[in-house]
Amino acid sequence: MPSPSGPGSLTGFPWPVESARLGNGLWVIVSEDHTAPVVAVNLWYDVGSRHEPTGQTGFAHLFEHLMFEGSLHVPKAEHMRLIQGSGGSLNATTNPDRTNYFETVPAEHLELALWLEADRMGALVPALTQETLDNQREVVKNERRQRYDNVPYGDAWLRLLALLYPPGHPYHHATIGSMADLDAADLDTFKAFHTTWYAPNNAVLTVVGDTDAATVFALAERYFAGLAPNPDLPPPPSGSDGDASATGEVAAPIEREARETVVAEVEAPRVYLATRTAPFGSVAYDAVTLLATVLGSGRGSRLYQRLADGARLAQPDSVAAYSVDLAHAPAPLLLTATTRPGVTAEALEAGLAELVDELAAGNPAVAVTAAELDRAKALLTTGWWQQVATVGGRADILGQYATQLGDPARAGEQLPAWLAVTTDQVAEAAAAVLQPHDRVTLTYLPAAKEAAA
Amino acid sequence: MSRRAGDATSRLVPEPPGPGRQRPYRFPQVVREVMPRGQGQARGQVVAAHLPGQPLAVATLLLGASASHEPTGREGLASVLARALEEGTAARDAAAYALALEGLGAELFTVVDWDSFRVGVEAPVERLPAAVELLAEAARTPRLDPADVTRVRDDEVTSLRMWWAEPGPRADAALRADLFGADQRHGRPVHGDPASVAAVSADEVAAYHQAWLTRPGALLVAGDLDRLDLDALGGAAFAGTSAQPAGADGPAATTARPARRILLVDRPGSVQSTLRLGHTAPPRAHPDYVAMSLAGTVLGGAFTSRLNHLIREVRGYTYGIRADFAHSRRFGAFTVRTAVQTEVTAPALADAVAEISRTHADGVTDAELEVARSFRAGQLSVDMQTPGAIARALTTLVIHGLPDDYHATLRNHLLNATVEEVSAAAATHLRPDRLTLVVEGDAAAIRDQLAVTGLGDLADATV
Repeated sequence: MPSPSGPGSLTGFPWPVESARLGNGLWVIVSEDHTAPVVAVNLWYDVGSRHEPTGQTGFAHLFEHLMFEGSLHVPKAEHMRLIQGSGGSLNATTNPDRTNYFETVPAEHLELALWLEADRMGALVPALTQETLDNQREVVKNERRQRYDNVPYGDAWLRLLALLYPPGHPYHHATIGSMADLDAADLDTFKAFHTTWYAPNNAVLTVVGDTDAATVFALAERYFAGLAPNPDLPPPPSGSDGDASATGEVAAPIEREARETVVAEVEAPRVYLATRTAPFGSVAYDAVTLLATVLGSGRGSRLYQRLADGARLAQPDSVAAYSVDLAHAPAPLLLTATTRPGVTAEALEAGLAELVDELAAGNPAVAVTAAELDRAKALLTTGWWQQVATVGGRADILGQYATQLGDPARAGEQLPAWLAVTTDQVAEAAAAVLQPHDRVTLTYLPAAKEAAA
Repeated sequence: MSRRAGDATSRLVPEPPGPGRQRPYRFPQVVREVMPRGQGQARGQVVAAHLPGQPLAVATLLLGASASHEPTGREGLASVLARALEEGTAARDAAAYALALEGLGAELFTVVDWDSFRVGVEAPVERLPAAVELLAEAARTPRLDPADVTRVRDDEVTSLRMWWAEPGPRADAALRADLFGADQRHGRPVHGDPASVAAVSADEVAAYHQAWLTRPGALLVAGDLDRLDLDALGGAAFAGTSAQPAGADGPAATTARPARRILLVDRPGSVQSTLRLGHTAPPRAHPDYVAMSLAGTVLGGAFTSRLNHLIREVRGYTYGIRADFAHSRRFGAFTVRTAVQTEVTAPALADAVAEISRTHADGVTDAELEVARSFRAGQLSVDMQTPGAIARALTTLVIHGLPDDYHATLRNHLLNATVEEVSAAAATHLRPDRLTLVVEGDAAAIRDQLAVTGLGDLADATV
């Protein structure tokens, strides 16, 4: 194991990685590991909510649900039954950038998992019915109610995206979508969605675990090679307003301090401070990751020490800072804290603002220290190994680095890259992303309660 | 446009492939040691699992200070103590402690449940010894300054208040009180409620520590044992402890309710109704444990279960619904959990009760049990890849007094369970007529529909 300060020959991915491309463009990645008798199958499709045109918010995610409802040779409910009936776990997620599908199964069922993935990549459309769409539309609307609408502060992420990214920007709207757009979704749109985006040349298939590369490449050839590619993959979305900031590596500064105050059924005032940083995968983003960890991870973090423990403005459980890995525009960095009883939102916001302003101003007296950076690197080191401890976690990372950075081997470089970040780079990152004129503040205030009975 | 011709140009393999050669199941090698081996000191047990080549390791100190031992009216006392452990130790203040531990890449995690009080760390294996020393420092010699403890107590009250504002915790509390009685410790929430935690004093926290956290307990280690010295880890964990007789705690007396009823918890404006359906069940040691849990899997333990298939995949009422039998050493419960759109609260409730009744009356089918058996057996491999998961499995061994080969044996029991056994367990341990049906939702919108379901009397919960 590496020491956190000396990268040396360290890799964060000490397992073999082999890759091949099928004739139809499907990228196949294999990482062998015989520690446990299990294997993970993971597909990254390079399509997410950033691809949704106006009026179709939530479609990429609703489509993800439809992928479990049967395909040409797989009746409804059979996909789940076959995987769980083999002892496997499965799921899928959609975010602004991409959609991933994954299962971990006992190793002897690898071929079944590949067959199921091939069938829904190659022939979902014949099985799509209005009944299935109507059913899953209701499920997704209940997902939205459960995760966003019916929990205190549940819509914060939706509001922050809209504040951070201008209308028309691919990240402006949230992946879950609006109820009105979901209600308007029609079957043909989803058929076209599959035909356009769910092509082998828009996907990365990763297999990790108790198998070997030759076996996987042969199975991939058997099950996926017959799928037709889409030679006309549309270019990445550019934002409906044609704003160059929507596509490029940098977004235009917000150029103002955007603010929103929400009065809602919440127990205590909460403040979010958010900014746009750099795209996932860039050197600048690695420094932002360290900055976020210094600021908001653990009891030794600045937010905890200053706002929860020191000034006692914030509830100790409530302080956090984290960046969200998005690759196609500057990724968001969020800081948040909730007031202790008797503390006003203004006081907490002032405390939070002071903490970031002094860093943004580059005051050397408060610069991030080597000790703070070492603490952050140690926490990130443990977190990285936790992430790659399962074959499923490892497969997802390989799919991510292949899809978004063009090379699965970049996964091995992530931990060394974090460990190589210097205090100067963190200071530069703070100055670059925490400026008051280029951030948003979202505040929740409790609705006045009726007199208690 | 026929580029992919509605997928017709794709060449697919129509038939699903059969399984390959099955790999043998192995739980990691377990090592048990009692230490220290010398005279005159309290003896603690070290239980370790060998994970060769694993970069991370986990150590968990397992103690008897569970929620079950908290005095009446002070529910949450153990949770306050758990939080207070990091507020400084005999050796250093809270900030210095945080920096020392996090500098190793570790954070303290604490768990308080009905059977145990656990304090643990996870870190790169070469840093685990130092992390365990810090773990022991917090668990054995916390400062517990009354002013700090009082502040931590207040923070815990606030934290619970925030938590109770979310849908779920109040419904859970209403169900628990109805199943076990609010006058029983296990009839109250495991981490207490805002009022019971507010009543906890700094003196009581110190006394609870003195009574329980000075006992040696057991140290569970999951990691590469070729790189760990268990004697040294045990020595650090058990230093300065003293043995005390363990109290006997037999099964808790429970009685099922005389008749099914509906309890309404008002959550004005809620766009969903949170449902908690349940009744009591036997403790973990019951001989029907495996058959009971498989019945729970068929009914509500997997995506393909009866409840999820009907209420999500057919009706679209919910994002998901789950049911299980859960057991502590002294008691158990069968519980169904879901959240459904407000408008369909009554039909969803009726559907759920009907599926429980059908499973109780008719048992399970071959096809369903085949999926449930394979699913549960396979999950023993799929779910236990990490040091954290293996450490939790060791926790199960120690708490329930199970042998090293328990997981392999369990796997065989799961795979060999018959339709007759599982159906019999469903008939015995599912009691649809004794269910408490807790509905947390917008009472103004759902009271009338609940009153006419015919599922049972409707009452307002007092949470």
